[in-house]
Formats: sequence, structure tokens, C-alpha cells
Amino acid sequence: MRRTGSKSIAALAALLFFAGASSAFADVEFYQSVDRDQVGVEDSFHLTIVASGAPEDAQIQFPSSNDFEVLSRSQSTQMSYQLGGAGASFNRTQKFVLVMRAKKVGTLILPSAVMSASGKTYRTEPLKITVRPGRMQDPISGRPRRGAPVPDPFRGFPFPDEPLSADEVDEEESPTFRSPRPDADVFLRAGLDRQEVHAGEQLTLSLHILSRVDVSGVDSVTLPKLDGFWSEEIESPTQLSGEPKIINGVPYRAFLLKRLALFPVKPGTLKINSAEADITTGFIFTGRRVHRASNELTVQVKSLPPGAPPGFSGASVGKWKLAAEISQDRVELGQPVTLKLSLEGTGNVKNLALPSLRAPPGLRVYDPTTTDKLTPSRGKIGGKRIQEYLVMPQQTGTFTFSGLSFPYFDPETERYEEAKADPVVLTVVAGSGGAISLGGDRSSPTAQAKNLLPAGGLRPLRYRAHFSDREEPIWRANFFLPSLFAPPGIWLAVALFGFVRARLNHQDEQSLKRRRAKAAHRRLAAAEALKTTGSPQAFYAEVEKALRDFLEVKLGVPVTGLTRNLLKERLAQAHLAEDQQLRILRILDACDLGRFAPGGDGGQRNWVLEQAQDVFEGWNTTK
Amino acid sequence: MEYDKVISLLLLSVLAQNYYTPQEAQEIFNRAGEAYYREDYPAAKEEYLKLLSHGFGGSDVLYNLGTTCLNQGDLGDAVLHLERARRLGGSTSDIEANLAVARSRQLDQVVGSSDELFVERLAHAVRERAVGVAFVLTWGLGFLVLLLARSVSGRRQVVGRAAAALLLLVATFCGSLLLVRAYVGATYTDAVVTAKTLPAREFPEAIGKISFEIHSGLKVRVLEASGRYVRIRLPNGLEGWADREGISTI
Repeated sequence: MRRTGSKSIAALAALLFFAGASSAFADVEFYQSVDRDQVGVEDSFHLTIVASGAPEDAQIQFPSSNDFEVLSRSQSTQMSYQLGGAGASFNRTQKFVLVMRAKKVGTLILPSAVMSASGKTYRTEPLKITVRPGRMQDPISGRPRRGAPVPDPFRGFPFPDEPLSADEVDEEESPTFRSPRPDADVFLRAGLDRQEVHAGEQLTLSLHILSRVDVSGVDSVTLPKLDGFWSEEIESPTQLSGEPKIINGVPYRAFLLKRLALFPVKPGTLKINSAEADITTGFIFTGRRVHRASNELTVQVKSLPPGAPPGFSGASVGKWKLAAEISQDRVELGQPVTLKLSLEGTGNVKNLALPSLRAPPGLRVYDPTTTDKLTPSRGKIGGKRIQEYLVMPQQTGTFTFSGLSFPYFDPETERYEEAKADPVVLTVVAGSGGAISLGGDRSSPTAQAKNLLPAGGLRPLRYRAHFSDREEPIWRANFFLPSLFAPPGIWLAVALFGFVRARLNHQDEQSLKRRRAKAAHRRLAAAEALKTTGSPQAFYAEVEKALRDFLEVKLGVPVTGLTRNLLKERLAQAHLAEDQQLRILRILDACDLGRFAPGGDGGQRNWVLEQAQDVFEGWNTTK
Repeated sequence: MEYDKVISLLLLSVLAQNYYTPQEAQEIFNRAGEAYYREDYPAAKEEYLKLLSHGFGGSDVLYNLGTTCLNQGDLGDAVLHLERARRLGGSTSDIEANLAVARSRQLDQVVGSSDELFVERLAHAVRERAVGVAFVLTWGLGFLVLLLARSVSGRRQVVGRAAAALLLLVATFCGSLLLVRAYVGATYTDAVVTAKTLPAREFPEAIGKISFEIHSGLKVRVLEASGRYVRIRLPNGLEGWADREGISTI
């Protein structure tokens, strides 16, 4: 249960209850903000200056500029008390709201506010405001400040998100404001700054109490179920602070109960149910307690357009910048370094998924720690998400973390953008020794080793090429078949030739006989040539040799040296006819006579030659 | 006449564009390597493919192309080119290492796969060109020595015939290896799945029931073809009909 009360009661209770406690102020925060950065020269705007944790004697000097005039000023103070490990502490927050107006057109600078406390001086950041001629729409409520029809964020019951100052309350606006019941003196209202958003884009829900009577407290505030939304609290006052309002001519005071940033997580028409609260009006004896429920709301959520880049997640909506930072860019082997990835911008910080860090081989990266820093500004949720990785080098060398990018959808431009971080280079050197790796079993050899060179990974490219076209198998090459058959072919040919030649050189009895017979015929032919020209001795010697050779061939025995009788006997054994035997003997006798008693005439030679030829041609045995 | 000259010049210029000198090819090879180390894998792949399309292939180009595809995440082409590099240049440690990385990234785990037959392993281990050259040399030399031995006698003839017998024995061994290689090449056709997902059906029709699905990088054996389908067999004996567009033969 949450209880809020008026400023005076809360301050008094705090003072009484914690009077004896030791006090210590928290850190000082001092900043200023404006509700609009673009205004018309005829428009007014609110400058809010907040000093938190400042001592009581703090002196605050508001920004002073000739370009602006201050129309009104209001102040509120909020005290809180905390019990923690360091003891109890007070925190006082002072809030100053200045209603201002620009004096001229152009881009103007609202100077810093200055706070002096305990010898220190604090300055806020100067603010840049663009001033245009005439009037402009309020970017938060979308409502023209004057002269234009008022939109209806509360389904027929519009309500300004930001309280107007008293001088801005105009009776002209009253006809458009309607209370739910004419006699209602206190009621609860919820409103949205926009009716149509993209999925993941922020819209702001405000819950106010409108009252015509004094409100002393609020109990049992039940917020609507926010199905389909991711919600973040923007503002939740711990005490009620009313602003004057005129509705239908009736003066009201508006008390902000809660302001939430909603991020739709899915497209479609989403409904926001009623909020409820018990409101106590009046004071101790005159007070009464009423239960009130707010109006219901609907919002149209558009899908994100197609064409999302790779790696985009649906929650990455807003405007973001990605940065990568390393604690050291040169480190000794075995010494850890911290790599910090930060994503800063406007949007739902807590639902972001940072790009995963791909460590180069040779570096071991441990799981990151994530911290978020929310910095709402002018009703917009934003801030920074930081992921810190512990990186442990395991090899010497130079390593680059590259390709870090974060794709997101920018609802203002309605386009997908990509935030990229610059590459981070880490050089790991051998060092002087003694470094110890984190994690793992220290007793194992790998834990004690320094320059770990694990197996795995791809082998490098070949740097030199031996080109060849897609080759046919060698057995299909033109030279292969000749190479296969030629050697045995040649060998076979040579062997065959040798065989034939050997065969040809072989001399058997028959061939010898044939050759000798031929030789005998040749001798006889030679004797014929000597018949007329040669000497009788040569002629008869040739005839006798021819006849003897012939007889040796025919008889198969040597006949040289045989007596006539023995020769006749051999001829008879060869079954030669008797007349042939006698003829051969007569030829041999004639040859002997011609050789040893030359003087025979040519007729004798002719007779011998004819007889010899008859023997050669007429050899015929009776066998 | 002038017209013919113009046509000739145009033809020459076109031919010159399509032809690389060895130096130009080596420059393209180096350029591809530089693109790879810049992690510009698409550019590196384009350069290697350019070399292949111009006839400058070889085991080195195929290995680098396969490794580039592997870095690019194209598992199918990576395994295909690495396997082709192995077929062409024989098994080397870098090819085997990168093929092991590719297999570890594959989606499919073939359960109960059996080893290759001995003849297949023998055929894949044979460096065809080297064995072929050895065969031709020892075969020819053996017969030459045998012939020379005929012309001598006595002890020289015995020594010559022994040397010839030894050479012919080596030639017979090399010839047997070539025979095994030729037999395996003619009998078995291996392929790699290049499609991201490839359904294998019970029969070669689009309406055939899908038996199983395989994914890029898996090595399969092609058994037969029918229309646009081929019958494939996984290393564990699982068979199905797959679209031939989804595979590439090694």
C-alpha cells in the first residue's frame, strides 16, 4: 500500500518521527529541463530545476537571459529518509517550476542555473530552445496551447498531461472539458500522450486526481493491468502537489499520481483498464474517503515495417549509439582486460539485446556483466546499457574486435538504422612471465601454460598455385595405350624374328642332299661351259666332280676313292638299272682318260657331257 | 577485306580477354588470397571461380575455394571443392583438417555408417598421375632390358634378365593400382549435397513419400538416375530418390 499526503503533513510527520535520527545527505544532483525544445514566440513553456541532496543553506540562482522572461514561479520540497548499511540519511529534493516565454525568434540558449552549497558551486547544462514565430503545438500532449480545438485523450474527457499555470487557464477552454458527473468534486483520470505508436515505441500514461476539495491522502492505488506493454516508471510523486485547472468553468486542482512509460510489445489494438484509488478529502474531523476508478484507454499499435536488417530484434526501437571501449590496448599475456560495450540513446533500455561479442581465436571471453542506467529526459525513457566482458589473452599477437553493430528501428524517421562501433584492437605481448590464467584447473599443464595454442580451426590458404585443368585419367591419355602395348610387341617381334632365323639356319639331311644335288647340277653346267673353251683336263675334272657329287647325294655314301667294282656294287645296292650302272662307269672311265690322256676331240667331250646329263636326268632306281 | 580484318581483330580481342597468362592467373590467385584475409569471402570466391572457368584449376585452387566457402558458411560447396581437391592432388593434411572442420559443422549425423571398401580406400589413396608415370616407365624399361639381354651372353645375360624381371614386377604392381583406380572410378559415383535441405523420396516422383531429409555438405553415393531424380545411398546404406539439382558430383 502506498500513502501520499500533502506537503505540510508529510514534512511535519517526517520532522517529528525522525527528529532524533542522525542525518546525512546523499549525493547532490542538480539539473534543469524544459518541457519543449521548440516553442512559438507567443507560447509559454516550463523550465524545471531540480536540486536533490543539497544542504539547506544552498543558494540557487535561476538562469538569467535577456532572451526570455519569467511569467511565474513555483517551488516544492520533498524530504525522504532512508535506512541503509551506512546509517540513516535524509534526502531533500527541491523542485522549481518557472513558466517562461521567449522574447525573440531564433535558436536561443537558456543559460545554466547555478547552485552554491558548502563552498561548492554546481551548474546545470545550458539548454537550446528553437523559437518560431506565432504559436506551436505542444509536442507532448499534441494540444495547441491556445485557439485550437483540444484533442480527446480521455475518450471525451481530455486532460492536459502537464499542469497549466494559473495564468494559462482560460475560460475559452472550458466548454471542451466535461466532468463525468456534474456534481463530482473528485475523480480519477488516465491519459495517453499518443493514440497510435509502433510496436516497441514509447507512449506515456499519466494518472491524475482532479479535485475541487482538499485532498489529504490517497490509499490503495491500483494501477491498470498493462497486458501487452513493458512499463517503466517516469514519475511517482511521494507527496501530492496540486496544480489549478478550470474545467467547464469549475476550478479544480490536478494531482499527479503516476506517470509511466509504456512500450507495446505486439501490434494491434491494446486496451488499458481502469486504475482505482481510495481518496481521502478534508482533514482529521471533516475528512471523508471515496473510491474512484479512472477511464479506460485504447491505443493502436502499428507493426514495424518490413525489411528489417539481419540481427534486428523487435525490441530495438528508438535512437541508439553503440560504442566499444577497452581498458588497455596493449597487455601482457595472461593479464585480463575489460572490454566495455555501451548502447546509449532513447528507448526501452532494459529490453535491449546488445550484439554478441565474437572473440578472435586466441582470446577467451567470459560472460559479460550488464548494467543499465536510466536517464528519463522530458518524459522520454532513455539511458545506457553497458556490457563488460572480461577478456583473457591466451596467445601473443594483435587481435581485432570488429563488426560490432546494432540494428534498430527509428520511429521518427520510420526507417531501420544501424549503430556501429569502431573496431577495437588489442595487442598481447609476451611479458616478463609469472602471469597466471584465470579459471580452469591450475594443476593441469594447459592452465600453467602461457601461450595456449589449441588445436582446431581452419588451416590457412595455399599461397602458391600449381595450375592444371581438370585432368583426364592417365589411362585415357594418347600415349598410354602405345606405351602399354609397344614394349611387349617389340619384344615379341624380335623374338619371332630370331626364331625364324634359327629355323632357317637349321641343316637337315634332305636339304643337304638337295643342296649338293644342286651343286652337282651347277658343276655340270660349268663343265658345259668348259666344253669348247676350257682345257680337256678342266672339263673332265669338272664332269667327274659333278658326277661323283651326284652319286654321293643319291647313294648317301662317299664315292671318292671307291674302286670301279665297289662303286658298281653300291650302285647295284641302290637298285640302279644295269645299263645305268655301266653308263656311269663308262663316263668315269672316259673322264679319267680325258684328264690323264688329253687329246680326245670335241666329239668325246660331247658324248661324256650328254651321258652325264642323261644320268642326272634319268636316275631312276628300280626300287 | 577490311571487313575481315575488323572481324579478326574483334575475335582476337575477345580471345585475349578470355585467356590468362600464367602470371595473370597467379596474380588473380594472390588477389583472391588477399580478399580472403580481409574477410571479403564473396570477392575471394569470385576470383577462384574465375580461375576455374578459365582452365586454371588444380588442387591448390580447389582447396582455397573450398576453404573460402567454409568460412563463408557455404558448407555444401566447401565439402564439394575440398573433396575435388583431394581427388585431384591426393590426400594432404590441410585438406583433411578442413574437411574435418566441415564435417563437424554438418547438420546430418549418419548413424551406423560403415567404412569404405578396401578397394575404394586404396583407389582414393592412389596418386593416379605418379603411379601412371611409374607404370609406363618401368614397363617400357623392363622390356628394353629384356631385349638387351638377348644380345649378351653368360653372366651378363643372367643379370639383365633378373633386372628386367624386377622392373616388370614393379610395373605389374603399378598397373594393378591403376586398374583398381579405374574400376572404382567407373563403378562408383560420389556426390555432395549442395542444397540447404534435400528430401529423399521413396520413388522418383514429386508425389513420392519423403523417406528422410539430408542437408548441405553430406557426401552420398549416386547409384542410378531417373529423370530429374537420382537414387542416392548414404554411408550407412540408407537409400532414397533425391532431386539431382540438389547434389553435385565430385
